[in-house]
Amino acid sequence: MRKTWKIVLALLALAAALGIAACGGGDGGLEEGASEEDVETAAAKPIGGEWTISNWPLYIDNKTIDEFDKEVGATTKYIEDINDNFEFFGKLRPQLQNGESGGRSMFVVTDYMAKIMRDLGYLQNIDKSAIPNVEENLRVELEAPDFDPEREYSVPWQSGFTGIVINTDLAPEIDSIEDLLKPKYEGKVTFLGDMYDDVSLVLKMQGADPANASEEEWNKAIDTIEEAADSGQIRDFTGNAYAGPLVKGDIVAAVGWSGDAIQLQADNPNVKWIRPAEGCNLWSDNMVIPVGAPNPGTAQAFMNYVYDPKNQAQIAEYVNYVTPVEGTKEVLEKQDPKVANNQLIFPDEQFTADCTPQAIPDPSFEDAVTERYQSVVTG
Amino acid sequence: MNGMAVESARIERSAPARAWKWLRENAITIYGGFAIAYMLIPIAVIAVFSFNDPAGRYNFTWEGFTLDHWSDPFAITDLTDAMVLSIELAALTTLVSTALGTLLAMALVRYQFLGRRASNFLIVIPMATPEVVIGAALLSMFLLYGVSPGFNTLFIAHVMFQISFVVVVVRSRLIGFDRSLEEAARDLGADAFTTFRTVTLPLLAPGIIAAALLAFALSIDDFVISNFNSGTTVTFPLYIFGASQRGIPVEVNVLATMLFAVTVLAMLFTIWQQRRAERLAATRPEQEQEIETTLALAPGQGRA
Amino acid sequence: MTAIRRRLVPYFLLGPGLIWLILFFVVPMYFMARLSLEEGTLTEGFRFTWQFSNFTDSLAESDTQFVRSFVYAGVATVLALLIAYPLAYAIAFRAGRWKNALLLAVIAPFFTTYLIRTLAWQTILNDTGVVVDTFKTLGLVSEGGRLLDTPGSVIAGLTYNFLPFMILPIYASLERIDQSLIEAAKDLYSSARTAFWKVTLPISAPGIVAGTLLTFIPAVGDYINADFLGSQNQAMIGNVIQSQYLVTNDYPSAAALSFVLMALILATVVIYIRFAGSEALMGEEARRA
Repeated sequence: MRKTWKIVLALLALAAALGIAACGGGDGGLEEGASEEDVETAAAKPIGGEWTISNWPLYIDNKTIDEFDKEVGATTKYIEDINDNFEFFGKLRPQLQNGESGGRSMFVVTDYMAKIMRDLGYLQNIDKSAIPNVEENLRVELEAPDFDPEREYSVPWQSGFTGIVINTDLAPEIDSIEDLLKPKYEGKVTFLGDMYDDVSLVLKMQGADPANASEEEWNKAIDTIEEAADSGQIRDFTGNAYAGPLVKGDIVAAVGWSGDAIQLQADNPNVKWIRPAEGCNLWSDNMVIPVGAPNPGTAQAFMNYVYDPKNQAQIAEYVNYVTPVEGTKEVLEKQDPKVANNQLIFPDEQFTADCTPQAIPDPSFEDAVTERYQSVVTG
Repeated sequence: MNGMAVESARIERSAPARAWKWLRENAITIYGGFAIAYMLIPIAVIAVFSFNDPAGRYNFTWEGFTLDHWSDPFAITDLTDAMVLSIELAALTTLVSTALGTLLAMALVRYQFLGRRASNFLIVIPMATPEVVIGAALLSMFLLYGVSPGFNTLFIAHVMFQISFVVVVVRSRLIGFDRSLEEAARDLGADAFTTFRTVTLPLLAPGIIAAALLAFALSIDDFVISNFNSGTTVTFPLYIFGASQRGIPVEVNVLATMLFAVTVLAMLFTIWQQRRAERLAATRPEQEQEIETTLALAPGQGRA
Repeated sequence: MTAIRRRLVPYFLLGPGLIWLILFFVVPMYFMARLSLEEGTLTEGFRFTWQFSNFTDSLAESDTQFVRSFVYAGVATVLALLIAYPLAYAIAFRAGRWKNALLLAVIAPFFTTYLIRTLAWQTILNDTGVVVDTFKTLGLVSEGGRLLDTPGSVIAGLTYNFLPFMILPIYASLERIDQSLIEAAKDLYSSARTAFWKVTLPISAPGIVAGTLLTFIPAVGDYINADFLGSQNQAMIGNVIQSQYLVTNDYPSAAALSFVLMALILATVVIYIRFAGSEALMGEEARRA
């Protein structure tokens, strides 16, 4: 009797497993709605009501959201839960795969991530008629980037530079990536966890052209980083978290972002962002609308709202990154001349001469180098 | 013989010998004291820094004393919401998982049945699985069945990983449990359920409470699994992880200290209750007191 | 109670808990198992191809992190045991009516989040902090050295964070020991130490086994301590899995790594239990009943 029971139970379990397997399906890829004709365009109306936006921390002042809500009759839920493009992507991917947006109507992700999401079919096109301010005020340099030449699915939120953030008290003489690899700074230097930023800078140091670097050049750059990581020259790979140790003095220099340095001066006035001798990286964080986004009309209305120079000035004053909206400098010249004349926020051409967009590897080897870089970062 | 006794008595009375003896006898207690101090060091640091007045984003170096953050600890609404959510989640999940886990433990320790080995195995495996894996696997399954991540998925996930721990803790209490008390109760005429309620459960209580405490701490603490299964819901640990990248506001320290203080208060309350119960017992008639004392003594005993 | 009802009792007790575990653990695990045998990338899609090489490849690539994780977790477990046992003993036998209060005092710090406690250690072990200065004076740290971003700090973090997992089971098993038993043993062996080794320790064995397992197992898979207190050269296997899942999006490898990790942990546990005596854990109760 007992034995029969055992067999019956085992068979039932097997049947159940198979049944579940049938529902299981595979994990899709490009085949899920990535062809051009299939891409939806976000609805421009209705505007108003509840909507959710995910953004990086410290990327907005504390008045803009309320003012926007009042103007269009919306209830904005603003979540600062993006600390790393890939981590955010990994968290949301299963839902995006199913055509859901994780409850968000908009994210703000860096250039390369916008491209990755687009290639996987996770983003909608933006209805240009809903964003006249953007058409009018987007800075010329940002109008046609490589990854989205017609700005179909991305609208820059803020731009910035990647260079070296130094503690002038402890290491005033550092002025290049090469300096960071010198033995006297062993264990006192950090790099970003972001492959695109780090490798672009090292590629420049090694004389390669980030925009067209070959796989060997990428691997050579990663070799250099790997050596420095294994030997302990690089103390850690961080996201935003390089700021703390730098302020404390645990490290003397970090590969870091321009806007951070300005904000950090409140904690330690000796912190300064410098442009490495080899050149710096230029990047934007972009507002994108995922497929399945609830209330895309309000999201687009928000895009339009922040591209009004008056509103943008309020944001730029707080955020201290490079604003993509033409005309903001003029508004700020009256309100806050110090910000208006800060090269890091409103750089002139000379300042950005050496800066190039982050390198994006060719799709044929992107996965391979990403995996390789990750294994360096995780020891 | 007499002389020897006098000899050793004299040695006994010398000061360093006495000090050494005292040290040896109380070594454990002293060590225990140090251990508790060690466990409280980070809490002290967190508490101290809740009074800090940092100029910028970072709360790493002491910059000045202020009560500002204590006067308005709930200033950051996102943070407060996250904390409230975490507490609610932990309370609910602890109730469910402690109940389920205790029943499981009883079944596993006291009964022989088909599938006992398999069940034992099933309980242990979640504890041997990396949280990343559990988190990711759960999320994939939820999506497949069309459940969008949020409080409900968090609830399910938390109960799931709590059960194993509850079972292990309750089980180690159940092993060696003295059945004779239960048998005595049944001899006296109580049925199985009454026996369970009035004899087994109270005796098991310390183990169950320990398990519940552990389950609660696990839920409040959980970051990895929650990160995958929370959707747009933000728990306290998730908020902190985000904040740690860019500078943790002092209010976080304040809330953490408050949480700790509340548990300390609960502890003081328990002591007060205990003392009160003892005082009341002292005024009761002799007969009742005898029975009370017997039952009160029982929790501390489990004859092997 | 009728005979049939009696036979069914254990199933009723088991039912709810087991169903929960099956639905929300076994089934997702099944999906992960399938994933570990797939190949492909995010852009191409994943296909089920019985790709067993995922297992061997990932084991070969991450062997350093595996070893590191087991070593760190092992050391942390031993340290935790050394700290926790005397503490649990003190609470169980020397605390009298303060028992519950002290127990709560031991658990209370762990109601502040894991992350915050670890971050507090980041502050405490700061390069310019009191602890590092003291260690430098004592010669334990070299002049230009540091405590953070070293194996030491990660192990210290692991030990600290998993202490209650060690304390509670040991306490639970010590607490039910009858004091008079110990008294009798002391009389018999005429030495407190022998009484401890021959009586107290063996009786508390189930608690020790439970505690060490509850500490070691999660510690091996942990990645938060390595993340906050360590550098890339202290990365544990948990960090690798997390990064493979979230950054590289190489799900088959991540899944394969997870199963390898689980297998290694289970092997360790089985050997440990065999060595420690399975009766201690599984309970003679049921056999007697």
